[in-house]
Amino acid sequence: MRVLKSSDRDQLESLQRITDAALASLSVEQLLLELLLRISDILSTDTAAILLLDETGRLLHARAAKGIEEEVEQGVKIPVGRGFAGRIAAERRAVTIEDVDHADILNPILREKGIRSLLGVPLIVEQRVLGVLHVGSLSPRTFTGEDAALLQLAADRAAIAIEHATLSEQRQLAEALQRRLLPTDLSGMTGLELATRYLPASHESLGGDWYDAFAIDGGRVAVAIGDVVGHGVLAAAVMAQLRTALRAYAIEGHPPARVVELVNGMMAGLGPRAMTTLAYAVIDADECSVELVAAGHPPPLLISPDGEARYVETRGGIPLGVSEIARYESETFAFEPGSTMVLYTDGLVETRGAPIDDGLERLRALATRNGDLETLCMKLVAQMAPRERADDVAMLAARLLPVPERLAGRWPADRRALASVRRALRRWLATRGASDDEIYDIVVACQEACANAVEHAYRPGAHAFDLCATCDDGRVRLTVRDSGRWRPPRGTHRGRGVMMMRGLMDSVDIDHGEDGTTVVLERVLGASVA
Amino acid sequence: MSLLARVVETRDENVSIAAVEGEIDASNASEIAERLRTLLTNRSSLLVVDLTATTYIDSAGINLLFELASELEHRQQQLRLVVAPGSPIARMAAIVGLDAAVPTHSTRASALAGQS
Repeated sequence: MRVLKSSDRDQLESLQRITDAALASLSVEQLLLELLLRISDILSTDTAAILLLDETGRLLHARAAKGIEEEVEQGVKIPVGRGFAGRIAAERRAVTIEDVDHADILNPILREKGIRSLLGVPLIVEQRVLGVLHVGSLSPRTFTGEDAALLQLAADRAAIAIEHATLSEQRQLAEALQRRLLPTDLSGMTGLELATRYLPASHESLGGDWYDAFAIDGGRVAVAIGDVVGHGVLAAAVMAQLRTALRAYAIEGHPPARVVELVNGMMAGLGPRAMTTLAYAVIDADECSVELVAAGHPPPLLISPDGEARYVETRGGIPLGVSEIARYESETFAFEPGSTMVLYTDGLVETRGAPIDDGLERLRALATRNGDLETLCMKLVAQMAPRERADDVAMLAARLLPVPERLAGRWPADRRALASVRRALRRWLATRGASDDEIYDIVVACQEACANAVEHAYRPGAHAFDLCATCDDGRVRLTVRDSGRWRPPRGTHRGRGVMMMRGLMDSVDIDHGEDGTTVVLERVLGASVA
Repeated sequence: MSLLARVVETRDENVSIAAVEGEIDASNASEIAERLRTLLTNRSSLLVVDLTATTYIDSAGINLLFELASELEHRQQQLRLVVAPGSPIARMAAIVGLDAAVPTHSTRASALAGQS
């Protein structure tokens, strides 16, 4: 290597400065462009370009260019091993071309722009080729060994900066993806309380653990947790597609085992490396049961209302993405009000060097004395997840709330809220000993009152209605209150709702007050309506 | 279509059959009404709405059936309902007189044959 002139050294220092600054703030694209400007300045060249290897490692993508901006605009891709840039990446060494007209050049843009001579070097970090940096001259020029050495020196520094910027950009992207994917609004799932945790591994970029929770229909809520093989953007992308597919198949109405088989079939199309474990459970709050499918995933923990914790025995299918023709089976178990189900990923129970059974037993013992759901999650994470984690940890806990003695709630004045009122009321009536027919009648009557509240919430500020239900000595009393004013019944339609209330209940009392309307409905259980 | 209910349709030369599975309330009644209307072509003379698999209906759903019946009447077409006897739906229909206003049958076969 030649001895650097002091002016070269100054210039390299200026390059160093920009790479340092870049680590903090510049995007990858901005960084590449800045690097090119400095480099072409140092070597007094007319053009400069950076091509980076894609994820397959087979194609070089033009990512930044000076003087030959078309390369980037047209999305030039050069196969490794072919042409000028492809040869540099394949041979991992500097290549000079004195006369472009008589050389193997793949990219027509280089010729069209009138480039006469080229010099290119590989971008290498820790033995890995990241891409290629090349400079060009519009007048014939013989690039010397010294030029090549200087360019390689600049490339080595640039490569480190590019590596850092790319990693940090990928991490940000993966984090943004994961944040969007993890469900944020788990409220509004009547009768069910949910709590979740996600802890990334200590030194890795983002991991592949994920979870989801969504309402399917009626009183059923689907919860899922999984561990996608791999890390970073690729794992996050697989996770995104998985979650979408799972939701779509579940909402289509397929039974849980079939949903898992369909998602497994979809995974085959995502490529050979797309694999995930999965625990998928459908919680039926009305039936007080859970239907579970496990695919290569550790067993959920079930905690009874009095704090007994045990593992659900799963049929243990293989992870998704392993075999396209894998079959999955579900098991159904009772889920009493007050019970809690904890889904988690292996990061919670696996400690390096210790058998997984130890971790499982520790988790079970910790969960046995359980308090409220958030406290339980806090305790499990604090005591189970080591501060220095090799793996990421995800956890989703669901608790079926006990049915209260007296049902009271406020719902938005929106027609879509009616179904959730029905579910809550049906569940409450069942625990009060109402027969199926009685439940049906009372629910319909209540809905008529609620529907009126929804339709007449036209006054400013009147955006919700309250429902209170009590049962004393078999006498069910429902009070529906809104802050709007009922319009007088218009035509036969409005009349029908009131007619149904009167036909289904023992007494109907409608009070149009100044501040709103209150409907009180009563029916004695165990007696037929007069 | 909303998640509460789905409409399963069978169409013949001049008879359309629609089974409403699930729940009909104020949130999806107009959607279901639209769906039922699309089943009727000018050649259809009869629409059979099968409520055997309907698990919930309130006045919003009842109103839709009354409206549909009168619309069809104006077009010299007919609406017939299939309601399982003794079911909660049958009780609702009786309270508001739907079964008296619209021909109501206990099975799909009798609805198609036109006998009660």
